[in-house]
Amino acid sequence: MSAYAAEGQVPVIELRHVDKHFGDLHVLKDICLSVQRGEVVVIIGPSGSGKSTLCRTINRMETIDAGEILIDGVPLPEEGKDLAKLRAQIGMVFQSFNLFAHMNILENVTLGPTDVLKRPRKEAREEAMQLLKRVGVESQAHKVPAQLSGGQQQRVAIARSLAMHPKAILFDEPTSALDPEMIGEVLEVMTELAQEGMTMLVVTHEMNFARRVADRVIFMDDGSIVEEGTPEAFFENPQTERARNFLNSIKNH
Amino acid sequence: MQALLTTWKLTAVAFAIAFVLGVLITVMRVSPLKPLRFFGDFYVQIFRNIPGACLLIILVYAFPYLDIIWSYFTCVLIAASLIPAAFCSEYLMTGINAIPVGQIEAARSIGMTFAQMIRKIVVPQALRSSVLPLTNLLVATMLTTALASQVPLRPADLTGLVAHINTHAVGGVTAFFISAMLYCATAVVIGQIGNLIDKKVRILR
Amino acid sequence: MRDARTNIRDALYEAPGPRTRRLTAVGTALTLAALVVLIALVIRRFYEAGQLDSKYWALFAKYTTWRYIGKGLVGTVEAALMAGTLTFALGFTYMLLRISRLKAARAVGTALVEFTRGVPTLLFIYFFFLVVPQLGIKLSAFLKITLPVAISASGVVAEVLRSGVNAVPNGQREAAYSLGMRERSVFLKVVFPQAFRIVIPAMISELVIVLKDTTFAYVVSFPDLMQNAKVLISNYDSLLAVYLVVAVIYILINYLLNKASDFMARRRNQVKGAAAV
Repeated sequence: MSAYAAEGQVPVIELRHVDKHFGDLHVLKDICLSVQRGEVVVIIGPSGSGKSTLCRTINRMETIDAGEILIDGVPLPEEGKDLAKLRAQIGMVFQSFNLFAHMNILENVTLGPTDVLKRPRKEAREEAMQLLKRVGVESQAHKVPAQLSGGQQQRVAIARSLAMHPKAILFDEPTSALDPEMIGEVLEVMTELAQEGMTMLVVTHEMNFARRVADRVIFMDDGSIVEEGTPEAFFENPQTERARNFLNSIKNH
Repeated sequence: MQALLTTWKLTAVAFAIAFVLGVLITVMRVSPLKPLRFFGDFYVQIFRNIPGACLLIILVYAFPYLDIIWSYFTCVLIAASLIPAAFCSEYLMTGINAIPVGQIEAARSIGMTFAQMIRKIVVPQALRSSVLPLTNLLVATMLTTALASQVPLRPADLTGLVAHINTHAVGGVTAFFISAMLYCATAVVIGQIGNLIDKKVRILR
Repeated sequence: MRDARTNIRDALYEAPGPRTRRLTAVGTALTLAALVVLIALVIRRFYEAGQLDSKYWALFAKYTTWRYIGKGLVGTVEAALMAGTLTFALGFTYMLLRISRLKAARAVGTALVEFTRGVPTLLFIYFFFLVVPQLGIKLSAFLKITLPVAISASGVVAEVLRSGVNAVPNGQREAAYSLGMRERSVFLKVVFPQAFRIVIPAMISELVIVLKDTTFAYVVSFPDLMQNAKVLISNYDSLLAVYLVVAVIYILINYLLNKASDFMARRRNQVKGAAAV
């Protein structure tokens, strides 16, 4: 943290000593983390390590018990319009896509811009079509979500996030619910986004994606950040026993 | 014909009241306020389980003892709306419960306020998946309005008219069949329209 | 890692911030007060109309009153069970017609279902009460109430049964045929037993509707709960009290039946869930 502060930059996302419990379960233990503008941070770790919960606390899909979360240096509001406004600036892509089932693809992408950002409908539609083109599903614009494959749905979900012009996008295991042959097309879109300089926080099990795209890899286990570093350093030369065990266990797959 | 119109009128008005009341009760049942939830649940359990005849008799014969006197028409209307309102709320609750939690989270994640989320996501989805149950409810409401035959109503409703004809004249078989056909035709038409709407708005999941 | 907020009622609301918590607390207090006032108003209305007077309620302290109510209840239950059984038989027949391979049989089945579903119970009751005697057929009061109630519910039951048959996976049928079973035994031994199990909850709910319809028994003077209530009233002159108690009895019975239906549905889902794991 202090290193960045010295550079005089305010991180887009910053967590300070965040703690969270689910009942007796201590799911987040004193988490400190910051994501700089344009940075791609990938969080990996065994299931149940709290990585998904961590991701969800950042736009308050989950509440925290202690600590602070700052977006662009401003504390995350607890409720009401302020919270909604802030969420509009942070995109989120879910494991289960969560496209609005009663709207067609185009409406899914324009809903945020027209209703939350109050932009003119026509303008929003035009941009939405461009975004759909960019993620490669423009031909599906007038279908409903259930008619699309999982991979297509997830790409639409990414377009829906992008339409809000977010400062950063949170990816909560975006490929975990997908059939293997569709994982690639989603990762491809995410890779392009990263190359264009989007600030991203990605929770994933896709180690190759982490290796290729991440600026920084964070390894979580049992609610704590165990290790963090560049992909090269982490994958080639993990410092901790737990990280080595984890990497071995997935190599054996 | 007059009787058919009375039945239709009763049905339409009763269903309209039942729908509005049902929505209101549903709002109470999903509100964050425990007493309102309790009241809504209580209402539904009472009126879902009370026999129509029982309710009508209480309204017509028992309420005057509480110095509440309503016209027969009002009593029938109230009985034929309070009960469907409970079912209406049940169907709407089912519709709401069918919405995956992820839809709510997605709405939040793009910065929608609570009101926007309710208006744009929750209500449309709940309504669309309630089309068929509500169609059936409309038919059920029509059948409930036959209760009107239990009180002297002028002009009489369809069932009341048949009963009247049959008590006062012989040869009511025809009257019975004609009215049965009229009820039935109305029900089938309502059902068809419901199916049509449902096909248009059904949500694929 | 997700907390178990499967209930959408709660999922609609976020974990509250301090302002929301305050508002909720105030709102809860206000609505609670409103509810109490409402109850107080109802009680006052009873009091002012003199309906809380013990003379109206004293009859419920007597054993004979309850015995009489009990008798009526037995009448209601008998009528409901009889009507329920008839409904099932009729509904099952329509269902067989509807899944038949003969087009004509299917048409008849559909017509019967639409007809019985679209006509009010009371109209059927009047038919059996007024029209049938005109044709020179004499029926007992018991049949005069159970037959129309059964006919009126049969269409819905047929549809419920059919949905049950449809819910049995096709593979079950194919597997049975592949064992060399004949069509009749495929349906009797494989399809129907499974279909019946699927529709048990819906059948219990249907019993509630039948039970409610038997309240029209007073039209044909069959001594059910409602009819006996009338007699009690003429003996004791406490109409409001008796009808309220009767209403509560009906509501409780139906409530319990509905609970039973929910319970069966849940148990079925659990069994299914366990089998899927």
